[in-house]
Formats: sequence, C-alpha cells, structure tokens
Amino acid sequence: MAADAGMSPLQLPCAFSPKSQQYLALCAQDGRLRIWSTDSKTLHQEYVPSAHLSATCTCIAWGPCRTAKEGPTRKKRKSEAVQVEQKADLLAMGTAAGTVLIYSATKGALHCTLDGGHSGGVNCVHWHPEDSLLYSGSDDSNIIEWDLQTGKMRSKWKADRAAVTSLCVSHDGKLLLSAGQTIKMWDLDTKELYRTFTGHSTAVTTLRFATTRPPDSNGLYFLSGAAHDRLLSVWQVREDGKDKNSVVSFTMTDEPQHIDLVASNSKEEAVRLAVVCKDGQLHLFEHFLNGPCKKPLSPLCSVQMSDTKDSPVPIPLLAAALGADSRSVLLAYGNHLQPVMERAEINTSERHVCLTRDVQTTLALSMETIVSKVKTPIVNAKSKVLVPGLPGHQAPVKGTTQGSEKRKKISDTKEMSIAERLGEIDLSTVSSEKGAPKGTASLLTDNFAVLLVQGLESNDANILNKVFQTRKDMVIKKTVARLPLPAVLPLVEEITKRLQGHPFMAALMVRWLKAVIMHHTSYLASLPDLVTQLGVLYHMIESRVKMFHKLTKLHGKLYLVMTQVATNDSSKTVTDVDRTAKLVYEEESSDEDEASGDEGLPDEDSDNWEEEEEEAKEEKMEEDKEEQAADEEDENPDSRTESKANGEEDMENESEEE
Amino acid sequence: MVEHGDVRVVHRGGSKINFREPVISNDSSFLLCASGDCVKVFSTATEECVHDLRGHSGLVTGVRLRPSNHLQVYSCSLDGTVRLWDFTDGILIKTYVIGYPIYSIYTSANHEGVIFIVTAKSDQGSELFQLVAVQLRQCAEQVVEAREFSAVLPDVTSKPAAIDFGRGGEYIASVKAQQLEVFFFKKQKSYRFFLREDNKKGGKNTFTCVVCHPKDDCIATGHEDGKIRLWRNFNQKKEYTYSTMHWHHGAVGSLCFTPEGTNLLSGGVESVLVQWRYNQESEKDFLPRLGAAITHIVVSPDGALFCTSHSDNKITIIQSCVKVSAVIQGLVNGDGVRTDLMVDPHSKAMVLNGKPGHLQFYSLQRDKLLYNLDIVQQEYIHEEGLQQFEVVKAAFTSSGDWLATVEERQQKAADLELNLKLWAFDEQTQSFVLNTTISAPHEARITAMCFCHAAGSQTTMLVSTSKDGHFKAWQLAEAAHTQDEGSSSSWSCDFVGSYHGLVPESCCFSADGSLLAVSFQEVVTVWSPSSWELLTTLSQPPGAIRHLCFGRLSCSKYLLGATDNSLLCCWNLLTCSLEWSTAMATSLLLVDPLSENIAAFCYQAGSTDLFVFKPNEPRPLFSQKAVCSGKVNRAVFAPREEMLESCEESSQWLNRSQLYFLTPYMDLMTFSTKAEEDKLMASSKQLVIDDSIAMTPFSLLLGKHRQQQENQDPLSVLSAERSPLPQGSAAIKELLQTPAHVLPSTSFLCSLFVQSLLISVTDSREEDKHVEEEMESDKENSDEEMESGTSRPEGGSVVDQYVHAADRPLTKAQIREVRRVKKLDQGWMSNILDT
Repeated sequence: MAADAGMSPLQLPCAFSPKSQQYLALCAQDGRLRIWSTDSKTLHQEYVPSAHLSATCTCIAWGPCRTAKEGPTRKKRKSEAVQVEQKADLLAMGTAAGTVLIYSATKGALHCTLDGGHSGGVNCVHWHPEDSLLYSGSDDSNIIEWDLQTGKMRSKWKADRAAVTSLCVSHDGKLLLSAGQTIKMWDLDTKELYRTFTGHSTAVTTLRFATTRPPDSNGLYFLSGAAHDRLLSVWQVREDGKDKNSVVSFTMTDEPQHIDLVASNSKEEAVRLAVVCKDGQLHLFEHFLNGPCKKPLSPLCSVQMSDTKDSPVPIPLLAAALGADSRSVLLAYGNHLQPVMERAEINTSERHVCLTRDVQTTLALSMETIVSKVKTPIVNAKSKVLVPGLPGHQAPVKGTTQGSEKRKKISDTKEMSIAERLGEIDLSTVSSEKGAPKGTASLLTDNFAVLLVQGLESNDANILNKVFQTRKDMVIKKTVARLPLPAVLPLVEEITKRLQGHPFMAALMVRWLKAVIMHHTSYLASLPDLVTQLGVLYHMIESRVKMFHKLTKLHGKLYLVMTQVATNDSSKTVTDVDRTAKLVYEEESSDEDEASGDEGLPDEDSDNWEEEEEEAKEEKMEEDKEEQAADEEDENPDSRTESKANGEEDMENESEEE
Repeated sequence: MVEHGDVRVVHRGGSKINFREPVISNDSSFLLCASGDCVKVFSTATEECVHDLRGHSGLVTGVRLRPSNHLQVYSCSLDGTVRLWDFTDGILIKTYVIGYPIYSIYTSANHEGVIFIVTAKSDQGSELFQLVAVQLRQCAEQVVEAREFSAVLPDVTSKPAAIDFGRGGEYIASVKAQQLEVFFFKKQKSYRFFLREDNKKGGKNTFTCVVCHPKDDCIATGHEDGKIRLWRNFNQKKEYTYSTMHWHHGAVGSLCFTPEGTNLLSGGVESVLVQWRYNQESEKDFLPRLGAAITHIVVSPDGALFCTSHSDNKITIIQSCVKVSAVIQGLVNGDGVRTDLMVDPHSKAMVLNGKPGHLQFYSLQRDKLLYNLDIVQQEYIHEEGLQQFEVVKAAFTSSGDWLATVEERQQKAADLELNLKLWAFDEQTQSFVLNTTISAPHEARITAMCFCHAAGSQTTMLVSTSKDGHFKAWQLAEAAHTQDEGSSSSWSCDFVGSYHGLVPESCCFSADGSLLAVSFQEVVTVWSPSSWELLTTLSQPPGAIRHLCFGRLSCSKYLLGATDNSLLCCWNLLTCSLEWSTAMATSLLLVDPLSENIAAFCYQAGSTDLFVFKPNEPRPLFSQKAVCSGKVNRAVFAPREEMLESCEESSQWLNRSQLYFLTPYMDLMTFSTKAEEDKLMASSKQLVIDDSIAMTPFSLLLGKHRQQQENQDPLSVLSAERSPLPQGSAAIKELLQTPAHVLPSTSFLCSLFVQSLLISVTDSREEDKHVEEEMESDKENSDEEMESGTSRPEGGSVVDQYVHAADRPLTKAQIREVRRVKKLDQGWMSNILDT
C-alpha cells in the first residue's frame, strides 16, 4: 500500500514504511538518511552513507515486511505470542553513482551494497512483492533485477532509448512497468515486452498499479504522473491491446510529488489516492475504475496546512499515506530535515480543508522526547486553577425557584446559617457600637459613601481601591450605613471578587462584609435570588474556615520553632563560656570491645565510633531543645537548662566542676 | 458452554526486562535480556528487538554468554532447563534438562563444560538455596539430561548479584546476609568472613551484591547502608583487610568492574551511576539523572558500552560513561497499575500510569513504549520511602479531545493532597494543553471518574466520585464574566450529589449520556445529568456494588452491576426492575465501546475466568476457564483498525475490538482468533536475505576470484550458476547452516554428500531456468537491437537460445528426473537425521 517507489531525482526521496506506516524514511538535502518513527514522532535513526556527498541518494523504497526466521516447526503452546506485527526492516536506496544500498532499519546498519550494475545514476528502485528481488532503473536506460539472496545481479536488460525514470511491479509480481520515453509493460517471467503506452511528453515520475486484478480480464489499471504535469493519467490494460490512450485523468494544482494509493481488489471497491503536490497541497481522490471517463476528475478533497500566525503562511506537506479506514491519513509536513508527522482525520465531505498547526511548538516538544522518552504537555498561563473557595470549585448554589424540593430545603437552611452565624458573631459588637455618636458623621464618611457609589457604578478600580483601603471600623460602618440600597448588591459582588484575591486584601474586605451584613441583612433577606447571589461567598467562607484549623496548627508549630531558634541563639552566646571544663580528668579507657573475634579492624571501628558519637550529640541537642522549650517562660532559662543538660549527659564533667 | 477452539490467549508483551542483568555480546552490537518466558535480543544501536529466543516454559531467570563460544548464550529458567542458543540467528541449539527450578546461572572461562546454577535445596523447602556445578556432556542430541551435579556452596541466596567468580575463575565469592564466603577451587576450601550486624539499626551492614576484580585479588561488596567495601588478602582467615568507600545514601543496587579492572561502577536508588577509580578511590565520576533506581550494571567486553537496568523496566545504554545513547523501555511497571487501562483515540496507544507522576503511552501493535506524558511536572526525588505525587486516575473522552487526570500524595501524618487536572488536546501543537487544575476537588480519595461519552451533546461532562460521600459533576463552561479575552473556557463544578451519606464506589454514563448511574454501597442511584434529578434507585442487597456499566447499542436499556459478594445483576431501566442475576465473583466488568458485548473477569480458586455476553441473551458468547492465574484487575477493549471478518460464533466478539488484559505479573495478554493468525501467517511471507553479503575485504577477494572464473568460461556459467548444487539444494544449505557441532562426523557425511553430487550433475542441464545474464529486449525496435548487437555480438544468440529453452515444456522423463533428484536430496538429509 505504502511501499513507495522512488521519486524523481528532482525531489527529495521520502517513503512511509509499508503496512502500518511505522516509519518515515527521508533523504534530506544533506544526503543523510533519516528514519522517523510515526508513533512517537521522533527521530528513530540517522544514517550517513559513506559517499553521501558525491553519490546522493536519489530514490528509496521499503522492502516487504520481514519476519524473524522461524526455528524448526514447534507445537504452539497455549499462551505463546502471536506473531507481533511484522516490522519493516530493509530499505533500498538508489544513488546517483549507480549503486543500490540496502539498509537494515532493525540493525541500524548497512546490510549490503549492490554495485557493478549501472553505469549511470539510479532513478528508481522497486521491490518485488514476494520474492527477494529488487528492480532498479537507471540513467543508462537499463533495468536490473537483483537477487538479494546472493546479492548479485540476476538479469539486466535495456528498456528504453532514454533513461528509465520510474518502475513499478504489479501486486502479483508478474508484470513490471517501466517509464522512459514511453511506458512499457514487461512480463517478468520471460522479460519480454508485453505492452507499450505513449502519452506523456515529459519524464514520467510516478507509476503505480491501481488494481490487483490480472491483466486478462480488462480489469488491470495503472496510473502515471509526469514532471511538470498537473494531470495523473490512468491507463487500462485491455485484452485486445487497444489501449493507446489513457482512460481517466485526475487533475491537481501542481505536479505530483508523493503518491499513495490503495488499490482496489474488485469492481465494487474504489481506488483511493492521496497525492501531495509540489505546492504542498494534498489531494484525495476516490474513484471506481470501470472503463473510460472523459472528463478529468477533480479531487474529492484538498488539504492545505498553515501556521498559526496572524498572516498565515502555508506549511508544505511532504508526504501522505492513507490509513486503513477512509478518513484517516498519515501526514508528514514541514521541513525535510525535521518533518512533523501526524495521523489526521480528514472530513472528506468538505472540498477544501485547511489545517492550522504550530510546527515550532510541536517540534520543540518532540525534540525533548528522543532520549528521555518523556513528553511534557503544555502548561501555560491560560490554564485556570481552581482552589477550594473559588467559584466553580463547588456547585453553584441554585435559586429556590428552580430545582427539586429536596435541594431547596438544603440550600435554604445553609443560606440561613451563614446569615445567622455572621449575625451572631457581630451581634455583640453591633449592639455596643450602635449607640455611637451619629452627629459626628463627618464629611469624610459622607464622601466615602458617595465615592463608593460612584466607584461601583463606574467600576473604577482607583476609586474603589481608595475606599477599600480604610481600616477604621467606624468609617466603614458609617459608609455602609449611608449606602443607598441599590448599591448594596454591587458592593457585595465587589467584595466577593476582592476576597478571592490576595489574603491581605481579604483581611480588609472582611470588615466591609461584616458591616454590610450588619446593616443590610433585612434588605438582603428580602431579595428573591439571595441564594444564587451569595452562594459563591458562602462557599468561599466555608472553605476558608475549613482551612483555618490547619492553619492555626501550622502557625502554632512555626511559632514554636521560631521561638526556639531565637532562644537557642541567645543561649549560645551566654553559655559558650560555661561549657569549657575547668579541669579534665581522663580515666584509663576501658574501651567497649564490641568487635567480635574476627573483626578487629581499626578503620571500621573508628567509623562506627564516630557515628555513635554523632548520634549521641544529636540526642543531646534534642534534649536541650526540649528543655528549653519547656522552660521558655523562665526568667533565666539558659543557665539552668545548660547545667541540667550537662549534668545528665556527662557525669564526669559535672564531678569535675563540683 | 460455548466451543472456543479457535480463540486462544496469547502473550502480547509488557514483561519485565529488568528482572535479571542483561548481557552484551562480544561485539557490543546485541543486548540480551530475560523477559518473561523468553530472552529478548536487542540491537544496541537502534533499540529495536531483533528477535525473541522462545522455548522456555517458565520464567527465564538468567542469561550468560558461553565462555568458549561468544556467539552462544545459556539461559536458565524456572522450568528446570538450561538452553543454549545461537543468538545472532535465534536458533535453539541444545536443551539441558536439570529437573529442578533454577534461580540463576553462572559461567566461567576456566571451567570448560561446566555451568554453575543456583537451585533450591530439595529437602528443606524453598527457603534455602545451593550453588551446584553441572557437568555438560558433549553429545549430538538436542535434549540432554544433565545429571552430574556437584555441590559447590551449600548456602547461598537466589539473588544473582550475590555470587561472582574471581580472577580467572580461581575462586568464587558469595554473600548472604552479613556473611561473605570465598571458595577456592584449587584448595577446595572456603573462607567465611562476617560483619557485625549494626547495633543501632538492624541489618545495615547486610551485603547486597558482590563483584570480583577481573585481574586482581580483590572483592568489592555493596551494602544496605550505601557503603562499598573492597576486600583483599582474603585467602587466609586472619590477615584479611578491607577498605570502605561511601557515597551512596541508599543501598548499593549493583556493582561492576570494567573489563580491565581500572574502574568500579556502582549504582543504587539515587539513579546516579558512580565510577570509582580502582586504587584511587577518592576520584570518582558521576552520571546523574538516569531516571530511576539502578538495579543492574553491565559493561560490554570491550568496555565501550555501559548498560544499566532500572527499576522502571528500562535499560539504558551509555557510551563511555558520558552519553546515554539508547534507552530500551518496556511497559513501565512501578508499584502496580493505579489507573484503568485506556486507549487514546488519537495515538491508538494504550494508556496507563507509568513512571511516578507520568502517564505512559504504550503501542499495542509494536509492544513498545511511545512516551511518558509528564502529568505532575515536579522533580522526582530519588529516595527510599518518600511519598510523592502519583497519577491514580485518568480518563479520556471518546473523541480523545479531553484527558482528565487525578494525582494524589498521601503522607503518613499529613492530609491527602489531591489534584484533578483537565487537559485539552490541541490540534495545532499536537500536544495536550493544561486547561484547568482543580486542587482538592474532594476531601477524600477519588474512587471513580468517567466522562460522558455522548457523541452529539455540546457539553462535556466529567463525574468524579469520592470517599467523602459526594460525587461531583464538572462541566466545561464558557468563561464569560472574566475580563481577559485570552481565556476561553474552563471547567467548573456543576453539581455535587450525595445519597444518605454513603460512599460512592463507581459511576457510569449511559451510551447517549442521558443517564448517570452512581453506586452507593449496595444502592445504585440513577440521575439525569440535564436536571440533576434523582430518577430512581436500584438495589440488590446484600453486597456493595463494585462495578457498574450500561449496555450499549441494542442493550442500552440494561444496567449491569457486580457486587463484592459475587453477584452479577442486570437491571432493566425501562421497568426499573431486576432482569436477571447470577452468582459470579466478578473482579472486572468491561463494556466493549463498539458492540453490545460485555466482558466479565471472574476470579475463582486462584485463577481468572472470562465470560463475554450480551445482556439480553441468556447464553454467553464466549467463555474460557483459567485465562490466567491470579486476579485480573485491568483490561481494555482496543478498537481494531480493520474489522475482522470471522464467521465463527465464538470469535465474533473479537471482530471489532480486541481485548487486552494485564496479569498480576504485569504481562500483557490478549485473545487471538485462528482467522487472524492465519491472515498474519499468510501475509508474513518470509524474505530471507543472506546477511553474509556485507562487504568485507575477504568477500571482495572472493568475489574477484569468482569473477575471474566466470570470465574464463562464460558458457559454463550458464549451467553452473543455476544448477541445484551446491547452493541450489535446500538440503545442502541446511547442512551448511547448521552449527557444526550438532552434525555427525564429516567422514560419515562425506559419502552421502558425494553421492548426492554425483546424481544431480547428470541432469543439471535441464534444471537451469534462470540465467544471470544480460538480456536483450525490445524486439520491435530494430535499431536498438542493432545497437546492442554490435556491442555484444554473441549476446543475442545466447538469449535466443535461452528463451527457447525456457519456453519449451519439460518432457515427462525430465520431470521424473527432477522429482527423483528432489527425493534424493531430502533422502540423504533424513538419513543424517535418523542416525
């Protein structure tokens, strides 16, 4: 299906591996062969032919899939592996110097070189579908049949007066098409000329059998494309030999560069064709081949690619391979040195499809994958983070009017509970401060209320910031009290929004919220859609309160640590003097002889000893700390704990001191 | 029960490749490693699996090169056999039957014809192991009974790293717990050295591995506390010495000397390869960030390649200690599979959790890891006992446009940390893009998560159920109120549901997305996602429901549930009543997305049975007892690329999709039908290409010689080239390709060989069909013929003659002759085989 024959020497050869299109082999401008894995979209192998500059690779073709050599016939056990899908292995490369290189993709090395056959450059190579034979056509107008079992030429014949530019072997392996000045069909058993077709004025670059039927049933068709020709011609091989003209032609926008074709096996099956043109477009055709058709056929669907910039630049397609089902197409696009592969689903009901792709980012992502096999998905600033308390983290509280009876009840009680709770918290303070002198209502508070209303109406962040900066409870209270009722809800919304922001801001906003609820509870309660209005606020308060317990714990712990560090620092300065012993008396050391008989090695001993000492020290330190913590409130903790610790830890020292 | 003759369970890969240390071939081009029941041969250059060496019926527990022939390799297995392979061609040469399970194998260049194996002491259970030397008899048979055992060390561990041969195979060092034992073959005497068990924390001095210097009398041992000790002078009881090197903070996982002994390599949980200079221990080189804990280190015989096995089923090939040149990665199996198995609709790869904090994409067709997708995006800290973020749940939408992942970290003392991340697949960059992160989506562990699979609906919905007693529905909502126009849409919570404070266990959307079923203990609640109304409750007490699934297509009115007290229930949603129920200890219930089939894995008496059924039919479509031993917890239906056309009833359920499942040992298994295998066999026509034709100076020389010959007698080439001998005859080819040592003696073969030559020569003239010859064509173009005719005057006539000969049909007598020749050829070959 995708065992692509060589391309014309004008273009860079590229070919998808047959069957499952696991690899894309590409010979880029620098003469290196690169094999890309279409699954992971990374470079799989790179091979530099020894003469890659002088003898550039002109055409490549994947060999039929190879299976590992089976051992002697064995009985299959129950859970033995199935033949895992065959891997494409061998790759034939024709060079401008007239040699054919066989490269093994599994081993990553050159398998063998077929040389001594052609005197001119090789234009095309094609594998026999079943036997291990390879055909190559060359500038010297010869076709050579290579036997790969021996690595030798099996036969060679002159095919044309001009260079042989293209070759194709039929699916049953019995016929060979070659193109020079004319297209010729050969019987491979006898190497005799079977038919001749004339029609192209320029060099034929592509030949492909379109059906798998035998020639004697009038059902054999093939396809040809030529350089500088926007038409692909389809020829019928007829029994009576009256097949001088092409029967069908396909039109494209430019000369074909890469062709993939799914041959039809019967009359009822359409031939599917994917042609990548030189201008970088892909054309998809589907046609039932049954006799001539006068009108040139236009593509079923044309695919173009462009990048994501503001003024889109087209991305050239390099190659395309048809998948098993009619919609999926494997595309390779971008640069020959670094193509991007993608399995795309093409909607063929549309005549023109444009795919926008960001090649740079795709490449940047896939380059990392090669060695580490880790792909990093894109994480950008656009992604949203929902933490508990933000709207969307909990289900929005729906209004009482809609929804089932059950939920109404729940939400109602919940809603009441915050109002109540907040009310209760504030009740005492409210009552005590309510009697505050009203007469002193200065211009300032009035100003604030006006400002606030203005800010809320115009949604001016400057004014609002100015107003919300206030920390004075009295001012806040009065401002809120003077607020006209229609401004209350906007204020609540603004407060809610600001509460979600920075915690510092939230601390300020809580005062405002408190004031609002104190003064306007009755108004808020009268609102019909109160539940939805305050739902977000409720969830936020709920989640923050939930964290409060943990935060308090953390705060306590941190406080403890900090104070200990502080006391430790201060204690060190004092105790440094005390610690030195006035006199040290050393007893004859009776070392703990823990070493068992056969281990009496000095280095090992010292090693362990050190560790023990260290541990002992650590323990001591810990004790110190604990005690210090315990005696934190003591007037003079340093000296006491120190002496205590010393005493416990080190009897000798103490006795000396005494 | 349904006949299932043509469906069988087959192994599809995924086995461990880091189980035992790999082996690098002498020319550094191949890497061999034990993997499940076979030995895999990888190419070190391309990371590709060149072939599998299949034949063992048990777990392969060791691979060693044969010292006397570096193109052959021994492998041992728990099935009690040691097999000798030719790994370049993948041919089994010989099988030695030992009879006891073998845990590891050792070879030594100094012990010709002897292999050393570790087996369990047969009399005292399986806890004690011994090292045994086995004499391998030289004989012609394929299967050899090896019965000449001699015990070497009575008390060893089964770990292969705990035994190593010393310089020139003079002694063998073995470690166990706190004891090092060195056995000298010449003196037949062993010395034991003990380390004191560390008194503070028990077992810190325990040996983990041992390796001997190849040129010097020095033994290096690795310990649990990360120390490496170099032992010298150990050929006596008293005056031995050792020095200590300490860099590793965790246990030393593996040690290896370079071939010349100039460097010592060590690795452990830090995933840093440390290279110590021998005798200058203060100097060391590091190769950090190898990805996962190092379990084995191997150096190629020429010292150019290092190869490290890692705990995440990976083999890294390192060139000259600086550059990672290749990574062979199997199916990552860390602490087990936490997520369900899924199939990514875009890449068609199987998806499950991989490296810590990653999702792995594994190609089912090629048995190869494609890549790991970094979900957590936090540096992994290589330390024992550290709790880090793990991906525990993941789900794809049916189109593959959205991926939801749940990562969690649970530290012992602290609270559970949970993140739900929603990723959008971006077509433009061909990558997943983070859309929304929801931290702490639930207060407790998430038990199940599923997307609404409805094809036509505009809204995408995700439901997650949690141990906190709630289930939450998340919906993709247009972010209208936010001012910044850049953010398009993000996910937010749409509904929080609960049912009497019970813990929801599983959830499932119906095929059209109009119903959501959530199971709360033994009650199934059915909700309408559009209005979030509780439509009905279904229950079949006792027994909490573990798995739920809706039927598809024609069976979409059925809801199936499997309870933990082994009951499988099927409710009809139209009547809201129980349709049927059956006693079945279902461990996994799986619905095929492309058909109405449902697969149930049932765990019974130590093995798992599979039933495939349609909810509306009383008879199962397929059932197989004992699919594998152990419980199957993970399975997936992977859609086929091409629909299979199988008419047999028992295999029809495999037409549209293929069922894969993971065994408890992390082997990936699947079901294959006969039709499929036949198709594969037919398509896999073999293309055999002689590898020996690579250009070497010798072959060039030979070729020149042959060409000269050809030039001398151009006419004799005609007959000689295509005559059936010597390379034409398949039998002779067989003879030439078979390893010499398995053939009978030359004198025996000679007469037969000569005989066969004599006969076939007589009719070689008729045999030739093809000529390696330049052939003239294009008969119509007379001018061309003229051209070529002048250049090679004799060419045309030869071809004419030849063409004539080929066209002429063979006479009957000739055909008989040919047959006789064929028969004879095989005859003499079978003669050989009989003797």
